[in-house]
Amino acid sequence: MSKTGILATALGAVAFSYTVASAEEDIGELIPLCTSCHGEDGRPIAPDYPIIVGQHFLYLYIQLRDYQSGLRANPIMQANVADLSDDQLKALAQHFSKQAWPSTSFPSSDEDHALGQRMGTGGQCPQCHLGGYEGQNNVPRLAGQQPRYLERTMLEYKNKVRMNAPDKATLMRGYDDAVIRGMANHLAGM
Amino acid sequence: MTQRGSFHAIAAGGVALVALAASAGAQETGSGVLYGDMQTVTRALLDRAAGDGNNFLHTNGNYHQTRYYPARQINTSNVHKLRPAWIFQTEVVESMETSPIIVNGIMYVTTSFNHVYALDARTGQQIWHYKQNLEPATAPCCGPNNRGVAVYGDMVYMGTLDSKLVALDAKTGKQVWESQIADPLKGYSETMAPTAVDGKILIGTNGGEFGIRGFVKAFDAKTGELLWTFHTIPENSVGVWATHDATGRDMLRDIAAEKAALAANGDPYETLGGGVWQNPAVDHEMNRVFFVVGNPSPDLDGSLRPGDNLYTDSLVSVDLDTGEYVCHFQYIAHDVWDLDAVSPPILTDVLDDQGNTVPGLLHGGKTGHVYVHDRRDCSLIRFSEAMVPQEDMWTLPTPEGARMLPGANGGVEWSPMAIDPDQRLTYAINLHQPMTYTVESTPYPGGTKLWLGGSFDVIPEEEQWGNVTAVEYDTGDIRWQVKTEQPMIGGVLATAGGLVFTGEGNGLFKAYDSATGSVLWSFQAGAGVNAPPSSYTVEGKQYIVVGAGGNTQLNYKRGNDIIAFTLAE
Repeated sequence: MSKTGILATALGAVAFSYTVASAEEDIGELIPLCTSCHGEDGRPIAPDYPIIVGQHFLYLYIQLRDYQSGLRANPIMQANVADLSDDQLKALAQHFSKQAWPSTSFPSSDEDHALGQRMGTGGQCPQCHLGGYEGQNNVPRLAGQQPRYLERTMLEYKNKVRMNAPDKATLMRGYDDAVIRGMANHLAGM
Repeated sequence: MTQRGSFHAIAAGGVALVALAASAGAQETGSGVLYGDMQTVTRALLDRAAGDGNNFLHTNGNYHQTRYYPARQINTSNVHKLRPAWIFQTEVVESMETSPIIVNGIMYVTTSFNHVYALDARTGQQIWHYKQNLEPATAPCCGPNNRGVAVYGDMVYMGTLDSKLVALDAKTGKQVWESQIADPLKGYSETMAPTAVDGKILIGTNGGEFGIRGFVKAFDAKTGELLWTFHTIPENSVGVWATHDATGRDMLRDIAAEKAALAANGDPYETLGGGVWQNPAVDHEMNRVFFVVGNPSPDLDGSLRPGDNLYTDSLVSVDLDTGEYVCHFQYIAHDVWDLDAVSPPILTDVLDDQGNTVPGLLHGGKTGHVYVHDRRDCSLIRFSEAMVPQEDMWTLPTPEGARMLPGANGGVEWSPMAIDPDQRLTYAINLHQPMTYTVESTPYPGGTKLWLGGSFDVIPEEEQWGNVTAVEYDTGDIRWQVKTEQPMIGGVLATAGGLVFTGEGNGLFKAYDSATGSVLWSFQAGAGVNAPPSSYTVEGKQYIVVGAGGNTQLNYKRGNDIIAFTLAE
C-alpha cells in the first residue's frame, strides 16, 4: 500500500479529537465569566480561588469535565459549565493553559518549607507533580498556586469533600491539618 | 464508561495508526552535517553485539541483555586515570534514564519529554536534535522519562509519553513515521526503549497505576504496521489460587472472599494492569522473547481483582514471530504490595540444582531476590539470599497503614542488572526505603486518574540507603555487597576489564572491581547519576558514557548532562 493510501486510511479511521488542534470553538463570550472570579490579570479575586492561567491543558479540561458530570462538586463551577459542549471545554482549557502563570510572592517560613519537604518526601509528591511541582498533563502545577486554595483542596481531599482523584483521600489522611497548612505555604512560595 | 476521543479503530481492530511526518505535527529542531559514513545497523551486527567492543547497539548491550561489555582497554589497573572526555548538556533539565546507543562513532541519547540527540561520540558535538510534539496524555506514574532508542537499518526508534512509536531517519533525525500504540487517555504511555529484532520493533507499555490492560506489541520496522499483540492479561486471569509466593512464603490471601468477588463481578482482566516497561530479551535459537510483567491494578487493593491476576508479577516467554504464549512463571500471585517484576531479564547459561548447565534466565526482583530460571520452560531453579532487609513479609496493607520491608520501590526496582559470565556473577543495585502500605478501595476512575487503591508512604524518620550486590547465580549466594548512601536506581554496566560501573543519586558515578567490590574510581557529576551506563570505542579509544539528570521517582537532583569518560593520556 502506498504511503498516501496508508495516510488516507488512517485519517479516515480516526480523528484525534482529544488534541488541541481541533478545538476551535468560539469561546469569546465565555471568557469574562471565568475571569470575573479567576482574575482578568490571572490573579483570582479571592484567596481560595485557584490560578488557572498557565495551568496544564489536560488537567483544566478534566476538571471542567468532572464539574460537568458532578464528579467534582462545586455549585458555581457546575452551573458555569452545565450547558457547554465538550469542544468548548477543551477550548477553554486551551485558552487558559496557553497564558503565562502570573508572578506571585506568597510568604512562606522556614518551618513551612521543612514541613512541606517532609510531607513531599513521605507522600512522594514529586513523582507526579515533578521536582519543582510544575506538574504535567493531567497533574496540576502547584508551585506558586494560591496557598489558601491549596490548603482547602488538600483538606477537601482528606475530608472526602473533593472526590475526583480517588487516591488523594488516602494520601491526605496521613497528614494532620498543621502539616497540610505548612505544605500549602511551601508550595505557594515556590 | 465512554471512550474519550475517537479510538474505536484501535480498540476494535488493534490496527496501528500510521501517520506521516507532515500530518503528525512532529518537530525536528536542527538537522546536522553528515559525519563520515553512518553505518546501517544490520541484523548480523545486532546479533554479534555481545562481542562488539566498538559499538553499543542495544539498550542492555545485546539480545541476552547481559550488560557485559567485551572491551578491556579500561580495566582495574588503569581506571583510576578515567576522566571526562566531554560533556553534552541537553535542553531538558529533568530525570534521565537513557541508555546511550553508539553506532560507528554516532551516539543517540534521549531525554525526558522525548527529545532525541545524535552526537559525535568522540567529541560530544551535536549532529541533530529531534523533539517530539507531544499530545495531551495521562502522565506516567514515575516521571516523564525515556530510556533510549532502538536502532535498526538506517532508522532510530523511540516510544513516547503519549503512547506512540516514532521512527526517525538516523542520518538526519527527520521523522519517517509514527504509530499510535494505545490510547494515552486510558493510562497507556511509553518510557521504555523499544527492542529491534528481525524487522520488528517490540515495545510494551506503562500504565499499571491507571487500570490498563497491558501488552507487548510488535510493529513492522519499515512501515510501522502492527504485526502482533500479546496481552499480558489473558481473559481468564484467575490462575490456580496460589497461596505462597515464589520463595515459599504465605501471602495471606483470603481465597474464599476472592472467589465470592469473582462470582459477583466476573474476571477483572479489562483493567487489571500488567505493564511491561523494560526491554525483552531475545533468544534467536529458540525464536522466543522473554520479558517480565508489572503489577496488577489497583496496586494495593486486591478486593476488586480476585484471582492470581495472571500474568502480572511474572516472567513470560512468547514466540518471536507470532507473539504466542510459550510459558510463564509468576513470582507473586495477587500482589498487593507493588513488588512487581520490572528489572529486565538476562539470558545466560546457569547450573541447575543437579549441577548441569542449562539455558538460564536471571531476574532481579523488587522483593530483594535474584531469581534464576531454566528458560526452556520458565521454571524456577533457585532464588538468591535477600539483598535488602525483609521484615514482616507479607503483611497485608491496612486502612491505617502497615509497615513492611521492602518498601514498594524494592529491592531491585527497574534498574537493569549486569553479569560477568566468566566470574558467573550478576550485579544488582538495590533500594532500602521503608514505607507503610495503606489500602482504601475505590472504583476504576477512568484512565486519567491514578488508581492505587490506597497509598504508599515513605517513613521519613527511618534511614534509607542502597547497595550494590554481586550474586553467584549458580548458588544464590551473595559474593560481595557494598552499601551506598542513598537508595539506588539507574543501572549497571560490567566490563571485560574487570569493572562494574554504576551511579548514585548524590551525583557519584563509580567503578567497582567486579571480583571484590572495591571502589576503584569515582566522579562527582553534579546531578543524580540514575541512568544505565554504556561503553564504546572510537578511533582506538574506549569510553564509558552515562546520563546525569537525576530521578523523579526518588527525587534526586535534576540535571541535563551526558558525560563521556576516557583514560587520561
